[in-house]
Amino acid sequence: MGSELFVDAAKCTGHGRCYSTSPGLLSDDEEGFVTLRGSSMAIEDEQLADAEQAVAACPERAISLTRSR
Amino acid sequence: MTEAMKASGCPVSHTDYRVERPIFETYELLNADREAGPLLWNDSTRRPFWMVTEYDHVVEALQMPDVFGNEVLSALAPKHALDLLPNYLNPPEHTTMRKVLNRWFSPAAVRRLEPQVLSHCVELIEELAPKGGCDLVAEFAIRFPTDMFLATLDLPLTDGEEFLYWVEKIFKGFAGKEPEESARAVEWIRGYFDRAIADRERAPRDTETDFISRMLVSDLDGTPISREDIITICLTLMTAGLDTTRSALGYIFHHLSRDPDLRHRLTADPSLWPIAVEELIRLYPLVFQEGRLVKQDIVFHGLPMKKGDILWLGLASANHDPKKFADPRAFDIERDHINHHLAFGAGPHRCLGMHLARHELVIALTEWHKRIPDYEIATEEQLYERGAQLSINKLPLRWEI
Repeated sequence: MGSELFVDAAKCTGHGRCYSTSPGLLSDDEEGFVTLRGSSMAIEDEQLADAEQAVAACPERAISLTRSR
Repeated sequence: MTEAMKASGCPVSHTDYRVERPIFETYELLNADREAGPLLWNDSTRRPFWMVTEYDHVVEALQMPDVFGNEVLSALAPKHALDLLPNYLNPPEHTTMRKVLNRWFSPAAVRRLEPQVLSHCVELIEELAPKGGCDLVAEFAIRFPTDMFLATLDLPLTDGEEFLYWVEKIFKGFAGKEPEESARAVEWIRGYFDRAIADRERAPRDTETDFISRMLVSDLDGTPISREDIITICLTLMTAGLDTTRSALGYIFHHLSRDPDLRHRLTADPSLWPIAVEELIRLYPLVFQEGRLVKQDIVFHGLPMKKGDILWLGLASANHDPKKFADPRAFDIERDHINHHLAFGAGPHRCLGMHLARHELVIALTEWHKRIPDYEIATEEQLYERGAQLSINKLPLRWEI
């Protein structure tokens, strides 16, 4: 199993720091929330650095990365 | 002194944060309070309040809207003088109204507004550049966001001058000055928005691009938004967006005027402006009085609070908390978690206009320094900052022409 990035909809309030920090990985919707809000995505090895940056950028601690191999 | 406070044994602060002070003194006092303890009792106002001073606790409390409610918005003025929407709502009503508003202030909306923001900003700066000096606060920092506010709401920019005249009176009212004039100003501005609504009722505009037209056809879980509420929303956007942007520009230009090396570095590499803006608004937070109403008895980090108590969430204090930000009083665009600052708050009530504000600041600073890269403070006299919500009263600058 690979790594997974998850955005907790209960905590995400749309600061937009994740998609600003990692625009290649995440994007914003019309309301300004990350499109991944409330769901998760598989993260390939080459996307790990971007995913970690997005996690670190969130002031609400709404994003988590589960790493497994 | 409440029984709970006596039992808690927590330190007491007597600092009155409502008063005007020499510039930067408020931050010194906030730091002193944070160093006295993570939780304090402040007895400087008629309704004393608990102060939460450290970063982690502030974020945690901001994320607890069920316990700490928005019936109170300013710990310093718990009885609100002005209706604000959706600020005074709690989830789920707050969430519903934010959903209607979010799309007008999202990064996508801000991107659509960019050409207008940019050209208008350049126009203002080019008007000032040949003068060799100005009061940054009155001649630029307030004019720019006022016009941007009008543009966002598709209102005529030519209304700016008159609008600003009344807006200033409202802001004076925030600081407790000339309350009658402030009340008249609220009345004038409500009337202005009422006329704007009437215009759109007569000649409907595109609800995709015109804010007020959209509000007129929007609903909150099936209920239309009342006319009074639309007016209140417009008034809220105005009070929230104008003074803060003006104040941020005041502190930022003050900082840059005294740090030519930084100014030159940023002018030479404008791609650094967005990150520099993050660090500057961390360093100079303005909304430091954020309050909440305690809605149920609770023990918060060992401190027993009673239903009905008032809580101060130290947004500015948190931004200078050394446990979160190493060497917090230094400007450092390399620092860890640079954008974790709480200048725009956090939790469900985080600033609606944060994306517009960031964008306006970046554009203003980029375009200004392209045209006026060097300047200095043109006065020896002491500058002051307003209490209750920080703002520099004036900032005279001069430059070579």
